[in-house]
Amino acid sequence: MPSADNNAVYNARIPHMRALSSRFRRAVCLLALMLMPVPRILASDWLAPEEQLARKIAADTGPGAVALDLVNRSSLSRPDVEEIRRGLQSTLGALGLHFVNADQAAATVQITLSENLRNYVWVAEIHQGNNEASVVMVAAPKPGLAAVERPASALAIHKTLLWTDENRILDVALVNGSPQHMIVLEPESVVLFRLQDSHWQQDQSLSLPHAHPWPRDLRGRLVLRKDHLFDAYLPGVFCRSSPTAPLTLNCHESDDPWPLGTDQSGLSAFFTPARNFFTGALSPGIEKQTTVKPFYSAAMLPRGKYQLWIFASIDGQVHLLDGVSDQTAAKPGWGSDIASVRSGCGLGWQVLVTGGGDSSSEMVKAFEIADREPVEVSQPAEFNGSVTALWVDSDGTGAMAVSQNSETGKYEAYRLSIACGQ
Amino acid sequence: MRLTGFPLLVASSLVCILDASAVARPHYGGTLHVEMRAAPTSLDPADSNHWIESRNLFSLIFDTLVSLDEYGKPEPALASFWQAEPGSQRWQFFLRHGATFQDGAPVTPDAVAASLRRTNPTWKVFSEGQAVIVERDSPAPNLPAELTLPRNSIAKRDGGKIYGTGPFAVSQWEPGKKLLLAARDDYWDGRAFLDTIDIAMGKSFREQLISFDLGKAEVMEVAPEQAHRAVGEGRHLESSSPVELLALVFPRDPQSPEDAQQRRALALSIDRDLLNTVVLQGGGEPAGGLLPNWMTGYGFLFPASIDLALARQVRGEIPHTTSWTLGYDPADPTARVIAERIVLNARDAGLGMQLTSASNSDVRIVRVPLTSLDAQIALSELAAGLGLAPPKLASISVDDLYGAENRLLQSQRVIPLLHVRSAYAVSNTVRNLRIAGDASWRLPNVWLAAEKP
Repeated sequence: MPSADNNAVYNARIPHMRALSSRFRRAVCLLALMLMPVPRILASDWLAPEEQLARKIAADTGPGAVALDLVNRSSLSRPDVEEIRRGLQSTLGALGLHFVNADQAAATVQITLSENLRNYVWVAEIHQGNNEASVVMVAAPKPGLAAVERPASALAIHKTLLWTDENRILDVALVNGSPQHMIVLEPESVVLFRLQDSHWQQDQSLSLPHAHPWPRDLRGRLVLRKDHLFDAYLPGVFCRSSPTAPLTLNCHESDDPWPLGTDQSGLSAFFTPARNFFTGALSPGIEKQTTVKPFYSAAMLPRGKYQLWIFASIDGQVHLLDGVSDQTAAKPGWGSDIASVRSGCGLGWQVLVTGGGDSSSEMVKAFEIADREPVEVSQPAEFNGSVTALWVDSDGTGAMAVSQNSETGKYEAYRLSIACGQ
Repeated sequence: MRLTGFPLLVASSLVCILDASAVARPHYGGTLHVEMRAAPTSLDPADSNHWIESRNLFSLIFDTLVSLDEYGKPEPALASFWQAEPGSQRWQFFLRHGATFQDGAPVTPDAVAASLRRTNPTWKVFSEGQAVIVERDSPAPNLPAELTLPRNSIAKRDGGKIYGTGPFAVSQWEPGKKLLLAARDDYWDGRAFLDTIDIAMGKSFREQLISFDLGKAEVMEVAPEQAHRAVGEGRHLESSSPVELLALVFPRDPQSPEDAQQRRALALSIDRDLLNTVVLQGGGEPAGGLLPNWMTGYGFLFPASIDLALARQVRGEIPHTTSWTLGYDPADPTARVIAERIVLNARDAGLGMQLTSASNSDVRIVRVPLTSLDAQIALSELAAGLGLAPPKLASISVDDLYGAENRLLQSQRVIPLLHVRSAYAVSNTVRNLRIAGDASWRLPNVWLAAEKP
């Protein structure tokens, strides 16, 4: 997989842009952040800095009786601090130091566990007689922040983690067959994986040439095809794969419309080549309606003899188009991304919608639209970071959601499906 | 680390600053209006002064080869990757493809080398194929971080004009008054969400507040001592870590053992906690060292507490003391109040001091911002800003850094007082505005939401 460093264009990650709706939520999110547990590190990770610091201390004091005190000024947890205390005592003991009260000690050693932006900094101040205190210190890199465990919840929306990557994931498509394949669309490449022994093994990585810099908040979509494997749509660029392996990718500048929904829905829309939204021009249109307000995403609900299309406009409104009328739905606090899913539950189809959450998380909820008012029909599926993509999958029974984990910074691609009777 | 009320309030405003009625993708378009006190008269980073605000202007117009992430770790900018040869004296930087100057000219190794040579005449900089080579006369293991400094911005100078490669191009420039910037569609890192940024300079805090409350500015500076009040008034505040050093600086080394002892007594007599809580209203942190503890992890080793008994004892060992003049910038009312407090503290220790706004004082209050999130670079730049000898750093280890900082303090040329935060009030239509730990703006990802979507 190409690293960011080697890419011709290095697009900085777009941090999450979350919002809260009430003072209560603000208080809760602040409290949650303050109480968020700091992930512990394996004891073995402290061995190296313990040994380095112990050697520096012993080089200063020499073997003998010392009084040892340790204070924590860092974000280390109490169990970690105790682990480090025991480790230092053990290592110092092996170097010939033994521990006594201050009044019996030849030297007193004050150890402070501190930290800076990137490292834990452990400082030892050594006092011997009337001499000026000597100071020794070591730095230990802070580990990458691990994901915080969240309690599993019984949700009607099922999340299945497909792939995690440091690079931005724009879309993922699953190709059924034996073996199963997965296609991952990234800003600079399309990567093909094969499922082998329950693990995804990389088969091929195809670079994505593009003449112009990608816009910020880059979006892209994969669509599986019958006569060849897939098409990839990116702002101002269209790519078509070859039909068979080994795959090749033919990309060219294009302003062709992107398909909305699945193949069956038959509607496409033009995407702005240097922005993050659809222009509003539809192809071929919904009956006689060929334009809507610029929008971020769209979802289709079949309605007997017609299709109801829902558009999440860039002005924050939700528009419902049925081929004749353009109605604005009551603003339900939806986010920018929506996708319809054929679940067979309830009214048969639901709309998955991003929104809610706090500064470090986002949710996807399922809505049904019996008349023209959306009704929430599921508990939310929570994501540990902002949702950067939500596209209906090729057969319409699920959706692909990508979120950027607010703690690790990595992108996580999930398949979302809706189960009945939850 | 202590958690006081003010940081808690600031944290709350940082965590939950945005109150939109719906989560939305970023919007393109709009003009961000910013007001600031500084009034830079040059847009050439080679003329870079120590104003935080000037540095922020440069980052909108120019890029550096390397940038620092929020943890101070170098990451690619105009250079997509780099490597050092053994010994870290010779470095190769490989440029990314597709970057252009604002006049449309491509960024070439020759252009980059010419830019770096201008601001670093002692370096040997030249192009070699697609790479830029930097050769130093001594090991420079921290060169990538050094290249992130604003003065190392890559610029093309042509017929009196200067062009950058940054996300915005200059549309209108009235030195010291106004800067209008327009987003570049062809920016290599993606076009900024904003169309334009309108920056009004030379505005007092009061003028900024009026503009902000009238809706004429979306971003304004907030004096550190006013930050607590601003949060209490319901303003959304973005605040940096404590990044500006307030210190007393002597123009010369101690001229005698008595002079050194008198400086020590003065340092011991200053009540920094009171300066912070009363004068700055908690807008900073008492400083015993030059670099703040959040940057080094060892800052607590340098005592910042008042020790009046020891100050008097040291004073008692000096047969004859000198009555010093304490200088301050007359345009900086906070500095004057701090200076008055210091005079009172010194008097308690038996030391005579007199205030002066003249420039030829015995000791002077200065403000010097930290210019980098990299601690070694920040220390070197601080030393230069304070007029001290460059620190000698043998390696990039934390104990070498401590040793170098300790030696600067032992010179007794400087008495640290406080590390002060930078704070900005931000309109609730502004999304994704982030102030980095070093108070630098990250504006290309900022976007404007409709006030009533």
